[in-house]
Amino acid sequence: MSATLEFVRASRWYGQVIALNDVTTAIGPGVTGLLGPNGAGKSTFLKLAAGQLAPSQGEVKMLGKPAWGSPEIFHRVGLCPEADAFWEQLTGRQFLVGLLRLTGYDDAECRQRAENALHQVALLDAKDRKIGGYSKGMRQRVKLAQALAHEPEVLLLDEPVSGMDPVNRRRVVELVRRLGREGKTVVVSSHILHEVEAMTRRVLLIHNGRILAEGDVREIRDLMDEHPHTVALRARDTRALARAVVVLPHVISLTFGAEGEWLTVQTAKPDELYGSLAEAAEQAGVTEMYSPDENLESVFRYLVAG
Amino acid sequence: MSERDTSRPVPFARAVRAMFDLTLEGMVWSRRSVLMAFLLGLPIVFAIVYRTVLAAHLPPRVTPFDFYGGIVVFYYLRFVVPLAALFYATALVADEVDGKTLTYLLTRPVRRESILAGKFAAYVATTLSLSLPAVVVTFFVLMTARGRAGLGGAVPDLLRDLGVLALALLAYGALFTLMGVLLKRPVIPGLLFLFIWEFMANLPGYLPRFTLTAYLRSLIRHRPAEEGISEIFGQVLPTALCLEVLGGAVLVCLAAAAWIFSTREYVMDQ
Amino acid sequence: MPIYEQTYRRHQARASLRRVRFWPITREALRLILARRLFLVLLFVACIPFLARVIQIYVVTRFPEAGRILPVDGRLFGEFLLQQWLWMLVITIFGGAGLIANDLRTGAILVYLSRPLTRRDYVLGKLGVLMLLNLSVTFVPGLLLYLIALALAPDQFLKWDLAWIGPAIVLQSAVMSLVMSLVGLAVSSLSRSARVAGIGFFAVVAGLEVARGILYAMYRRPETALISVRASLQALATALFGLSERAVSLPWFYPAGLLAVVALGCLLVLRSRVRAVEIVQ
Repeated sequence: MSATLEFVRASRWYGQVIALNDVTTAIGPGVTGLLGPNGAGKSTFLKLAAGQLAPSQGEVKMLGKPAWGSPEIFHRVGLCPEADAFWEQLTGRQFLVGLLRLTGYDDAECRQRAENALHQVALLDAKDRKIGGYSKGMRQRVKLAQALAHEPEVLLLDEPVSGMDPVNRRRVVELVRRLGREGKTVVVSSHILHEVEAMTRRVLLIHNGRILAEGDVREIRDLMDEHPHTVALRARDTRALARAVVVLPHVISLTFGAEGEWLTVQTAKPDELYGSLAEAAEQAGVTEMYSPDENLESVFRYLVAG
Repeated sequence: MSERDTSRPVPFARAVRAMFDLTLEGMVWSRRSVLMAFLLGLPIVFAIVYRTVLAAHLPPRVTPFDFYGGIVVFYYLRFVVPLAALFYATALVADEVDGKTLTYLLTRPVRRESILAGKFAAYVATTLSLSLPAVVVTFFVLMTARGRAGLGGAVPDLLRDLGVLALALLAYGALFTLMGVLLKRPVIPGLLFLFIWEFMANLPGYLPRFTLTAYLRSLIRHRPAEEGISEIFGQVLPTALCLEVLGGAVLVCLAAAAWIFSTREYVMDQ
Repeated sequence: MPIYEQTYRRHQARASLRRVRFWPITREALRLILARRLFLVLLFVACIPFLARVIQIYVVTRFPEAGRILPVDGRLFGEFLLQQWLWMLVITIFGGAGLIANDLRTGAILVYLSRPLTRRDYVLGKLGVLMLLNLSVTFVPGLLLYLIALALAPDQFLKWDLAWIGPAIVLQSAVMSLVMSLVGLAVSSLSRSARVAGIGFFAVVAGLEVARGILYAMYRRPETALISVRASLQALATALFGLSERAVSLPWFYPAGLLAVVALGCLLVLRSRVRAVEIVQ
C-alpha cells in the first residue's frame, strides 16, 4: 500500500506544550479512523496533515510533497474542518461555487460540481437558501460538500457526522465507505466510536500526542495480551457450561449473570475458546454468544486507561 | 472539464479574481457598508440642506467651492477615508480568523499572497465605489447652488480630489492591511495612528514627512482660509515626491503583509 | 404514557425572581475587563487630568495671583468633565465594543436569556458595565475634585451660591456616562464583531463631530452643536457650569432634548437587536 500521507518523526509543540510527539506513520488508500480523547493530538495531527501547521520537528508529507507550504496539494486534498464556521450571508450553492472557483474551475464546471456535491449530501433543495438559515445538520452537510466538490483523492474529515440526525449519519457513513472502496484516502477523526467502527476497521489511536496503536481493530485487540477478552454466553444450563469451560487452560475467570441465564467468561485466547466450545455449547443449550469488548470502545478504553 | 494543472497552484490572476468575487459579495452587502455609506454620504445631506434651505436664508461665510473644499480636506481626507480604510483593511484577514473561515481559504490550491491580493482588491473596489460617487454628488449639489457659472472651472479640482482620495484609500488601506495581519487587535493602534501620529503633519520641520497626511494634503489644491485652520497647512511637498512616497508605501506595506500572511500559521481552535 | 399531548401548559415557576438580577452580569463583565492590564493602565492614565486639576487648585490657593492664568471657580469642574470625554470614548471602545457583539457572535446571548433573566436585565447588566467604567473617570474624579476644592479652598467654595457645583457634577457626569454608554451598547448590538463595533462607534461619534465642525466653520451658529453627541454634551455642560463656549452656547433644553432623543433611539435599537434568535431571511 503506497503512502498518501506520511508522518516521519513529526512533532509539534505550542510553547511548553507538546501536542504531537515523535509520530511516525503512513496512511494510504482506504478509510482510517483517527481516535483519541480530547487533547490527545488529533486536531494537531489533522492540521499538520492539511498543511495548516508546520511540524516543529520531523516531516509531514502529503502526496509526496511537504504538507506545509505546498498549496498545489489542495487540488487533490479536501478538508472538512470541525469548526462550525461559514460566510453566513452566502447560499449553499454560492459557498461551494466560490470555493470551487478558488480551486481553478471555470464557472460552468463550478456550478455543475456544486450541484453534484450538494446532491451527494442531500442539500439540493436548500441550495439557494442562506447558510445562516440552515439547521446544524445542514451546515455540517454543506461543510462536507465543499470538501467533496472537487473530487479529491484525499479527504480529511474532522468530526464529519457531528450534529447530524441518524438518517444523515447513516448516509455519510455509507458515503465514506464508498469513497474508501473507490481507493480514496479518507482520514476520519471522531469521538463517536461506533460510527468510526461502522466506517472502517483500520484505526490510528492517539493519546497524549503519541500513537498508541494503529491497524485493524481486531488485530490490535488480539495483541493486547494483558487485557483478557470477555465472552458472554446465554445458555439453558449455565452450570453445565461452566463445568465444561472452567477446565480449559486459557480461561481466566467465570461469572454467572443475573437469574443464572448468562455466563461471562474471561479468556486470554478467545479464538481457542470458540474452538473448544462447540460440543459443550450444544449440550448446555447455548442460545446466544457475543463479545462485549470485541469493539473499538473497549480497545480504546484499555489502551487509554493503560 | 476545464484544464487544470494540478501540479501547481492556481494561476495568480485567476486566484485573485476568484478571491475578489468571493470577498466582494460579503463586503458590499453588509451592515458595515451601510454605516460607511452613511458616513460617506453625510456631506451630501449637508450639501442638500445648504442648497435648499441655508443658502437662501443665511449668508455663508464661505463660498460653495470653499465649503466643498473644507469637506474634502477635513471630512473626507482627514477623517472618513482613513477611517474607512481602518474599518475594512484591518478586517481583511482578521475577520476570517475570528470567523474561523480562513481554513476554507488556506485549503485551496492557491498561493496565500493571492488570497490577500484578492481581498485587498475587493476592499479598494468597495471603498472607491462608496466614497467617490459621494464626493461627486456633494460637489455638484454645492457647485450648482448658485447657478452653473463656476462649475466648469472647478471640475479639474474635482478630478484631482477624486484621484487624491483614491490614493488615500490605497495608502491607508495598505498600511492597515499590514497592521491587521501583524497585530491581534489593530483597532486601537490604528486609531492612535490616525489621530495622534498623523497629527505630526501639523508640526514644523522634517517630522511631517513621516506621515501619510502630509503627502496627501500636498496633492490637494484646497486651502480653506479660515482662522485657526490655515496653520494646519504647513509645508507643501513636491507632487513627484508625494506620488513616489505614497506609491512606495503601498507597495512596501502590501508586500510585507503578503509575506507575513504567507508564512504565518493560523490556529483556529473551537 | 410515553407520548405526550402537545397542548399549552403554564410555566409553574417555584421560586420568585430576585429583584436585582442584572448585577451578576455587570460584576462578571467588569471582572473580565479589569483583569486586562492594559485597561488598568488606561484607567490610570485617565486620572492624570484629575491630578493636574488638583495641582491647579493647590497652586492657586497658595499663589492667588496664579488664578488670573489658571482660574479656579465653578467652571473648572465643567471643563474637567468635558476633558474626560476623550477617555470615555476610549473606554467605551476598549471595554464596551464587544459587550453585546461578542455575545451575538458566540451565541452566549442564548445562555443569558435561558436563565431567569429578561432582556431588560441583560441590557441593564451590560449598561451597568459601561456606566460604572465611565462614571469612574467622570463622576468619581469630578466629585473628588470638588471635595478637594472644598478642603483646600473653603473660603472660595464653601458658599451657598456655589452649592450648585455638586449637583451639576452629578448631573453632567451621569448624562455623559449614560449617553455614551447607550450609544456604545447600541452600536455593539448592531454587529457581531467587537472590532467593527468599536470602529463604528468611533466613526459615528467622531464623524458627527467633524461634520459639526465644518458646519460651524461655515455658519458660526451654535445650533450646529445639535448634530453631534459630543457637542450636545458640551452644550449641556456650558449651560450647567456657565462655561464660555460660544460655539455651543445654547439653552440647556435643546441639548438635553437631543440627548434624550439619542438615548431613546439607542434603547429602541437595543430592544430590536437583543434577541435570543435572529431570523435569517
